Amino acid sequence: MSTMTPAPVTTPAASGATGDASRGAIPRTRRTARKTRSAAVKAVLVVLLLGFTLFPAFWMLSSAFDKSAGAGGQTLLPREWTLANFEYVLTEGGFDVFLRNSAIVALVTVLASAVLALLASVAVARFRFRFRTGMLLMILVVQMVPLEALVIPLFVQVRDLQLLNTLLGLMVVYVALSLPFGIWMLRGFVAAVPIELEEAAYIDGASWGRMFRSVLLPLVMPGLVATSVFSFITAWNEFIFAMTLLGGATENYTVAIGLKQFFGEHSNEWGYIMAASTIITIPVMIFFVIVQRRLSSGLVAGAVKG
Amino acid sequence: MQRRSPLTRLRPWLLLGPALAVLAVLLLWPLVRVFLFSLQDYGLREIVSGEPNWIGLANYGEIFTDPTLWTVVLPNTVGFAVLAVACTVALGTGVAVLMASLGPLWRTVVGSAIMIAWAMPAVTGTYVWIWIFDADRGIFNETLQALGLQDEPVNWFTNRYTFYAIVLLNVVHHGFPFVAITILAGLLGVPKEMLEAAEMDGAGAWRRFWRIIVPNLKQVFAVVIILSTIWDFKVFAQVYLMPGGSGSNREALNLGVWSYVESFGQNRYGFGSAIAVLLTLVLLGITVVYVRTMLKEDEL
Repeated sequence: MSTMTPAPVTTPAASGATGDASRGAIPRTRRTARKTRSAAVKAVLVVLLLGFTLFPAFWMLSSAFDKSAGAGGQTLLPREWTLANFEYVLTEGGFDVFLRNSAIVALVTVLASAVLALLASVAVARFRFRFRTGMLLMILVVQMVPLEALVIPLFVQVRDLQLLNTLLGLMVVYVALSLPFGIWMLRGFVAAVPIELEEAAYIDGASWGRMFRSVLLPLVMPGLVATSVFSFITAWNEFIFAMTLLGGATENYTVAIGLKQFFGEHSNEWGYIMAASTIITIPVMIFFVIVQRRLSSGLVAGAVKG
Repeated sequence: MQRRSPLTRLRPWLLLGPALAVLAVLLLWPLVRVFLFSLQDYGLREIVSGEPNWIGLANYGEIFTDPTLWTVVLPNTVGFAVLAVACTVALGTGVAVLMASLGPLWRTVVGSAIMIAWAMPAVTGTYVWIWIFDADRGIFNETLQALGLQDEPVNWFTNRYTFYAIVLLNVVHHGFPFVAITILAGLLGVPKEMLEAAEMDGAGAWRRFWRIIVPNLKQVFAVVIILSTIWDFKVFAQVYLMPGGSGSNREALNLGVWSYVESFGQNRYGFGSAIAVLLTLVLLGITVVYVRTMLKEDEL
């Protein structure tokens, strides 16, 4: 599918027959007509896009606040609003504990992988040394490895270390999972900083460490923010390792696997499930929308500012 | 330039060291191990005792003679990935081009909306789609019935094709924002003068897209396609969490879920490892092809 607006066919010859007086006027009205049409097409596309993009989130919210969610005959907006679903989820549902667990895991993962990825990406982007390309290939290869292949040996490894059912085992795994992509992304941001800026710092007598702190770090900051968002999301959303490594320990569940609780043998409590899903999703969404501008413009801005 | 002191020469390795150590212990060693497991009859007994029970390539033999692989698992994995990448990249590119043509206000609105789709965690997103298509009370069935298009609620999860249609919707909805944002960032970097000059020369939007934007953004497209392919080949939660997706509906298995279900459901870790190794090899093949095309374009 393409949302390109079809270019209206303009034939210069068609307007050539009219007299001198209108020569300037006709192209102008044409241009206006063309603009109106393309604006209308754009408006329709935007509406369709917003509908497709937002419906699941909207439906999740609507069901979470609906007193009779899952009872059948639900309307687009709840007939009776309620907070009972959230109350149940946060108390008896155990989500207060799951949220705390997920927050701890995500925070540790973000900090550890940001530091490791930044250092590594500087090396990969800035220094020419042997195996540099090989290193990049390895990072890409590691990024491509399916979690299903890692979960079996890591399950055995974590079990041997007696870390099954603990958050520590999970954190260590998440740092490793978010590192390759972090290095891969940050490498682009570091490479976008003009090398002349670094050389200027050296000419001014700065050591490598000073240059790193005062030149590279501020310019790469948008990239670091973007990378941190990714590792946060990796840790917050990860499912297969949480399910496998935390198997029996309900009190250590992260939010992603806590949802399973509300699936019954015969019927699913959709009101609870959607309320819990809302609780999980909202922090990620707020976070995302806040950093959106930095995400999209970070690379370009970082490169030009110098 | 810098003096070539020993510290300068060692610096890259000092910077890389910690990350490499983590990757080696937690990613590379497990990869070696999963291959070793795949050559063993590795079950609960072997996990507890630690005694290896080598059986050579028997696990692989069993996989390749299993009709499940050829009739269900491979079509589900490959067919789905091809469709999902095509849809994700096409939709994402379209949205990026649309966003680039919008004013600041609407670009922010659309940007925020697709961020919401992106931010939706795979797990909760999957549950929402399950709820939308729920057999008994989902809004999809109720709407179809209200419109008189069907008399009885349909269970969309039992049929293999409708099952994967829902997975496709889910994966594309979740995956296109990354493509759109990445390509938009690239689009905004394309020199305006170039596009204006082309427009003056009478090139329409379609031609401008293919002649200027695509060649300028080749690298960006390559990265986006690589990553989408890799991600869509190994969808797991989006399948596993669906009704019947965790193994009870054998028709819905893909490589990743099959591996997991055999390992942790049947305690056949060796057999599951062999499937996982095959999945890894497939992905490795794709990665190699892409990396080679990228290397041809530009130095990495």
